[in-house]
Amino acid sequence: MTGAMTAATTDTSASTGIRNLPWQKVTIAVVIVALAVLCATTPQFFTINNAKAILASASIVGLAALGGTFIMIVGSIVSLATAQTMAVIAMVFLASQQLGLVPAIAVALLAGAAIQAIQGALVGYWSANPVVLTIAAAFALTGLATFVTGGTTVYPTVNNFEVLNSTPLGIPLSVFVFIGAAVLAEIILRRTVRGQQMYLVGENRRAARAAGLPVPHIVLFAWVVGGVLLAVGALFLAAFNTTATINLGGTITFDAIAAVLAGGTAIAGGKGSALRTVGGTLAIAIIADLLLLRGFSTGAQLLVKGLLVLVLVIVVHLESKREK
Amino acid sequence: MSSIHSSRSMPRRWGSAVLAGAMSIGLLAACSATGPGDTAKTEGSLSGETIAFVGYGDTSPWGAYFNSVYMPALEAEGATVLDLTTMDAGIQVQNFNQAVAQKPSVIVTLLVDTQAMVGPMRKAVEAGVPVIVVDGPADPAIADDPGIRSVLSDNVALGELAATNIIEGIKAQGRDEGNVIVVAGTQAMLVTQDRMKGFNKVFDENPSFTILDVQDGNWDPTLSGTLAQQLLAKYGPDGVQGAYGMADYMALPIINAAKQLGFAVGGEDGLIVSGGNCFKAGIESIRAGELYGTATEDPGTIAQKTAEYTIELLTGKEPPRVVTLTEDRVTAANLDEFADRCSKA
Repeated sequence: MTGAMTAATTDTSASTGIRNLPWQKVTIAVVIVALAVLCATTPQFFTINNAKAILASASIVGLAALGGTFIMIVGSIVSLATAQTMAVIAMVFLASQQLGLVPAIAVALLAGAAIQAIQGALVGYWSANPVVLTIAAAFALTGLATFVTGGTTVYPTVNNFEVLNSTPLGIPLSVFVFIGAAVLAEIILRRTVRGQQMYLVGENRRAARAAGLPVPHIVLFAWVVGGVLLAVGALFLAAFNTTATINLGGTITFDAIAAVLAGGTAIAGGKGSALRTVGGTLAIAIIADLLLLRGFSTGAQLLVKGLLVLVLVIVVHLESKREK
Repeated sequence: MSSIHSSRSMPRRWGSAVLAGAMSIGLLAACSATGPGDTAKTEGSLSGETIAFVGYGDTSPWGAYFNSVYMPALEAEGATVLDLTTMDAGIQVQNFNQAVAQKPSVIVTLLVDTQAMVGPMRKAVEAGVPVIVVDGPADPAIADDPGIRSVLSDNVALGELAATNIIEGIKAQGRDEGNVIVVAGTQAMLVTQDRMKGFNKVFDENPSFTILDVQDGNWDPTLSGTLAQQLLAKYGPDGVQGAYGMADYMALPIINAAKQLGFAVGGEDGLIVSGGNCFKAGIESIRAGELYGTATEDPGTIAQKTAEYTIELLTGKEPPRVVTLTEDRVTAANLDEFADRCSKA
């Protein structure tokens, strides 16, 4: 009996000890060390061209991930219509080229805000399940785009977008815009009342409502800002590919979610930051690049990405348990 | 408390009403609309015949143009065409099984997943329904069955033509050797494997030219650009002289990836890039001097040939069991000849 009690006590203290470990910090430290070792031992990793390639591939996914960060922080989990939303915005942008670059950008940003505002209103005002809603939105956007275009590729009649493919200081413009957008997003999240309210709503929606916060407005705001960020990413996606179809987004939905989660943003909401999403995006881009440089296939890259996200979701869960 | 509740439930009720109204209007519109298979029957050589068309969905530009040529061509002959098109492999299996159950005169299909379709195609053969496989070949497990007919793009030739484009382009720069990267379509697909067979064959015949790296771009333009950036960075501007994007929409991101890294494209010493199944954007890129070349497999030509084949089969003319189309190389030298044909998707 005493032995049993001792064993139980030991078990409890052991599990408490495991639960009390600062999981997130430990994981981040392990990932950084592992990446540093792999980078140092991978030929051709430390080259200017490779750094450019990593930054360029991270920038468009990163812009989508920044949009996803707002949605996740406010407690709306994820948008599963990211790829379709970006594809539709890219189509709108290319189809508006004859208006001139600035009006076409404005139209695209408005389209992004509008598409996300409809979803944000349904989530914020009518408590629609964001996962189910965005699955429906993905189908609706695909259907709408196919109906409007007849399935044909959208070709710009005039090419005003080439400036978006430019490389100031030898670095793609999308990288500078991504960094600027991340800083701006962080300021909104950390330094504005709306940003702080988003964390409160994501942490505990009921308590936020009880405290008199305009919860639906805050949710809508998060989705609209997310939509604008998606639209910025879509501009570069369109310019880079020069044409657009509904399939243009490819795997960007899951890439963006992976980047947000890799940055440590809590899927349940209330925690996270834009700068951490930048870190998550870069970590995934670096891992993909390392695997390619070491001769692994695209399949291996997807597998590692999936495993990384799985580990990080578990880690964030354990961390939140520890804090409670 | 109750007032709070009622004020919150009002917008919800309005929202529900709006959604229900929108869905009702949508359903009414859908039910009253005229679908592709509902056109008025006309007298023709295929009057009374039903064709189950399990093709690519309109979300694929290639598929959309194919469908816009193929279906009207048969309807003009008086046939009823059941539109069962989709780009989803799982739904395609369901649609094919549904088609078999309806016992049409023929099932015409463009395969999204060759292996997944072996079972359903076997059911069609057992039910005595002829099947015409279009564009890419059926799985070897069933391809030789007498009940399976094919109108195929010559994917091996398409790979050979792309390799010829690249080697010709590099040689035109005064080089007699060069390294090439490949961003392929989905490598599990027979179409991709056949194109790589042809591509490798030409490189085997030209041993001073080397294929450095082959990556699976999954027919995804965005992924193709990312992979190209990484591969070009890996080998550097002096390490790569050529690149193959298996479709034009995969080749163009390769060009932009090179430009963003500061690599020259085309011209006297730049990267030589070839595409595949020609698209309008590819034609324009050749005209601009960036894409060196592409190859045909345009949807209009194969749609027309498939329509002719279907009509021959259903009017008792017994066409050959397998028809393989002739593919052509497209470069700046013969651009005008193919520009119109290649600008449909």
